[in-house]
Amino acid sequence: MLTALILADSRFPGGGHVHSGGLEEAAARGLVHDEPSLRAFLHGRLLGAGLLAAGFAAAAARGEDLAVLDAELDARTPSPAQRAASRAQGRGMLRAARRAWPSARLDALPRDPHQPLVIGVLVDDAFEAALTCAYLAVSGPASAAVRLLGLDPFGVNAIVASLAVEDVASRACEELPALGSPALDLLAEAHVRREGVRLFGS
Amino acid sequence: MKASARLVVTLDSHGNSVVRVLRSMTPLTLVPHRRVGPLALVHLVSSVTAPLGGDSLSLTVEVGPGASLELRGVAATLLLPGSSGEESSSSVRFLVEGSVRYLPEPTVVTNRANHTSVVEAELDGHAQLRTREVLVLGRAGEKPGTLSSSVRATRCGKPLLHQQLVVGDPSVDASSAGLAGRRVVGTEVVLDSVERGTDGGEWWSVVPLAAGGSLATALGDDVVTVTRVLDAI
Repeated sequence: MLTALILADSRFPGGGHVHSGGLEEAAARGLVHDEPSLRAFLHGRLLGAGLLAAGFAAAAARGEDLAVLDAELDARTPSPAQRAASRAQGRGMLRAARRAWPSARLDALPRDPHQPLVIGVLVDDAFEAALTCAYLAVSGPASAAVRLLGLDPFGVNAIVASLAVEDVASRACEELPALGSPALDLLAEAHVRREGVRLFGS
Repeated sequence: MKASARLVVTLDSHGNSVVRVLRSMTPLTLVPHRRVGPLALVHLVSSVTAPLGGDSLSLTVEVGPGASLELRGVAATLLLPGSSGEESSSSVRFLVEGSVRYLPEPTVVTNRANHTSVVEAELDGHAQLRTREVLVLGRAGEKPGTLSSSVRATRCGKPLLHQQLVVGDPSVDASSAGLAGRRVVGTEVVLDSVERGTDGGEWWSVVPLAAGGSLATALGDDVVTVTRVLDAI
């Protein structure tokens, strides 16, 4: 449980703070501009990308073959920008984890692993791993919204607290999901192409 | 209504792609064209209004080494509810050692429809597959029912693409992280050895998949805009 808390803590030095999960692009287009539009964004993100990531964290926590999971998650992540963001966050998390929780299974992860696999290896209870992953799928974009849009931190926190993160984590433990997120993929690809100043890597 | 149909295309000694097995079962009616050549053209005709709630339709397509098949739809598919809310389902399974283009017309998810669609493709080392899906969320002014549509493609057992799209939850369909409130979503999967770069616009992209092949995705408010993107790949 402590490991899950540390990984979900925004002060964990895994480099997650440089990723907005598509929020920066959505904000730049005016799609997310206030609390209701942020709530809708986070709700959709949780039920799509969040559920997918959480399912893979749970599978890794159950001890399933990591190379197989890595290839299966690649097949479920058609956007190269999304694959790069997931692997960059996995690499950052792995770097910090090697010092804190060295293990043979951590060493068995593929090079630049997808972040959900790292979470699953570190948090060996499937539900806790899924919960950590599902929470991170919305907490990063939520804090990015505070920074980018100047939204009220209390209001944004209340939105995150109201999301069905635990329900999604439970569902993620049932079977390996394959949910796609077409709009998020398109936002991620457009974010990479965007010229000018970007505060976030994704 | 339960129906299963099967189509087998192989290459003959003259280099022609020949339909060897053609087993239609209403409503899955397969209509081959009588031209002889390297590409076999078959139309998939829905010979009864289908699928309705309760229907279960399955089609298996096998294409042998060197053979090429183009399987086309002729009309849009309307997913309709049954009399008492039962689910309908359809599955298409491709076993490809040659080349397949599967180009059905758009699928319209009408109000109260409850459908599950599965497309599975197993490719061998040199096989090629192109498959298109265009989903329309309801007829004009109509809220869509629910649809789960998934596609899984493997090459020599290794996964190339596995995507499930679920429509019909208004809060997710409207979310800018869901379908961004667009009525039409289209995808075209091209599994071959051609290298294509990344390209895109506001609500469309063409991207290379991790293990080979490309995917075009477009969101829009009408079928014409979306299919224009898919036609270009």
